Amino acid sequence: MTTQEETLPQQVEFAAEAPVTGKVRLEAAWGSTEGDEDLSVTMSSAPKSDGQIFKQQYKPWNGELNPRWMRNWAILRHHLLGVFKKGHRPWGVPIRLYLLVVFVASLSDVGMTLVSGLIGDSGLHSVWGVSRDNLYAHVLGFFPRNMLYYPVVAALLVGGVISEDRQHGTSALYFSRPITRFDYVGMKFISVAMIQGLLILVTLALYYFAEIATMGRGWAWIIDTFPMFLATVFSALLLIFTYTSIGLSLSSVSKGKFFPGIALLSIILGTKVLAFIVANLFDREILYLLSPYDCLAHVGQAIIGTQPTYDQYSWTWSLASLVAMNGVALYVLSTRVSSMEVTRE
Amino acid sequence: MQDDLIIKTTNLTKSYGPHVALSKLNLSVPKGATGLLGPNGAGKSTFLKTILGLIQTTEGEGTVLGLDIRTKGDEIRSRIGYMPEYDSLNPEMEAIHQVRYSGELLGMNPTIALARAHETLQYVGLGEQRYRNIGSYSTGMKQATKLACALIHDPELIIADEPSNGLDISARDYMIDTLTNTVQSGNRSVLMASHLMDDVERVCDNFILLHKGKLAAQGRIEDLKAFDREIEIHVWGGASRLEDAMAKKGMSVRREGRVMRILHEQEDTTSLILSCAAEVGAQIRRMHEYEASLEDLFLSIMENLGYEVKSSEDLLGTPVQARKVDAPGHMGGGSA
Repeated sequence: MTTQEETLPQQVEFAAEAPVTGKVRLEAAWGSTEGDEDLSVTMSSAPKSDGQIFKQQYKPWNGELNPRWMRNWAILRHHLLGVFKKGHRPWGVPIRLYLLVVFVASLSDVGMTLVSGLIGDSGLHSVWGVSRDNLYAHVLGFFPRNMLYYPVVAALLVGGVISEDRQHGTSALYFSRPITRFDYVGMKFISVAMIQGLLILVTLALYYFAEIATMGRGWAWIIDTFPMFLATVFSALLLIFTYTSIGLSLSSVSKGKFFPGIALLSIILGTKVLAFIVANLFDREILYLLSPYDCLAHVGQAIIGTQPTYDQYSWTWSLASLVAMNGVALYVLSTRVSSMEVTRE
Repeated sequence: MQDDLIIKTTNLTKSYGPHVALSKLNLSVPKGATGLLGPNGAGKSTFLKTILGLIQTTEGEGTVLGLDIRTKGDEIRSRIGYMPEYDSLNPEMEAIHQVRYSGELLGMNPTIALARAHETLQYVGLGEQRYRNIGSYSTGMKQATKLACALIHDPELIIADEPSNGLDISARDYMIDTLTNTVQSGNRSVLMASHLMDDVERVCDNFILLHKGKLAAQGRIEDLKAFDREIEIHVWGGASRLEDAMAKKGMSVRREGRVMRILHEQEDTTSLILSCAAEVGAQIRRMHEYEASLEDLFLSIMENLGYEVKSSEDLLGTPVQARKVDAPGHMGGGSA
């Protein structure tokens, strides 16, 4: 037999329509020839390609950068929107829940005003309706608002606002960009203050306008009470500013969330309790000047016009004390933020 | 030529009280990739802060991208991308939003910043991972996210501070390749501070070496490496005779046992070695070009040359004795 004669039947046997015989099966399984056959007949698959899963390609960008106000707006937006949605500053779920609880609780006088207006109960309205004392109490009442609501909210908010930048090194993200220290701290301050403002000022405004709407108050009543309302707004702004400045200064000296929060609560509630004990045991109110809450309450009583509960000194001393407290807090804040590093924290 | 410089400083000095962090730095950094080298405390961080316009210089002046570092800090920071050495990411945020926010902090419109964040994360290899919280990322992914933050506005100059710090081999390779690609195909400039000489060699064409706040050396890496090129031979039989013969012919030889390194000064050094071996009857069983690593050169410069050398031309012109890079003390190496 010639080589040609051997090859031809083999090719026929391997053809698709060829019957499967014992010899073909043996050939397919063991390849028992010398290995010189033409393998082109068995090539069935397409040539392999390495393919390309990922091609790294640099894409240029030719857009224009917006000016300073847009950068500041970005910081403000980042912190504010974080309360409501993902993708911005991640406020924790407990913090967001607490903010909701405080917001709803702060609306208690609004709800009672609506109820008293609805059922026309004058007794209920005299307790819950808008008055000098109730406006004061909405912002500066100690229990529960300045014991359980506003200081705790301030503590939760300021806890991580600056300290987390120290902790995670995210300060480098700000200061390696055209963000000044003033803009950085200013926008963080405004963000925290605005969230507190949402709880205190917005609910105060709702309270005032709920009275107008449900009781059908006219211009005479509005003209009569609006100065009180404005004085309360001013007191609320003073409270928000003081809590925020003290809180942020504590946040700026720390690398964790816990210390600034606890320290703020200790300062607000601790000094209050200490001054209260001293006033009751020794009949000396002077220590109230060290308590941010009492200073705020004293100034608030003076400008809103309620009955003063601090008798031994003038409200101007409390105002001076507040100015001094805020001055010290802002000094610490500015010094600490100035020392924040870009290359190493 | 002046237009090709991205950083130029003249007598740049920064003091903190009696401590001089930077002393009369005269630097000219061309476009492309430049390595910033120096041991701890050399002044690298101070130099970076100075060129970012974050701290006031005590004396001297400088420009970055043609902008005065004393008065145009904001504009400089708008046009460069800075990748910090240390963590600078919020672990509770998703990478896409972190990068978007870093763009917004530069003044980018939020929608544009988001689109660009997708592009840059894709570029650094995190396209599929961009919606994951950064806290769940590996070190390599965090480094890549930091690079994406730096690249979001397509800066002319990227300052990468220890970009491969803490990375495993594959992540490190990827980071280095990405930086190289950014320079080569993106036509951007990179100033890369690193302790890892291999990385600097792979990415950079130029280098700056700082030591104790002073400029120790600057120039092209290629030139720097050229000055210490040697031929390494493994000799069997008659090694001492061969060493003597080569020394007589004026060749610079370092020897440890049967291994010798001969400075490759002339074109015919190889044939001279072979002829010497033939003369003295020594066998050369292995012969190859020995290229000192940048790390060797770094140590050599630090130990032997001090910081008086200002450019690679100066290095090339230094005496042979000073180039004993890694020879043991008994061989005449070490401090020259």
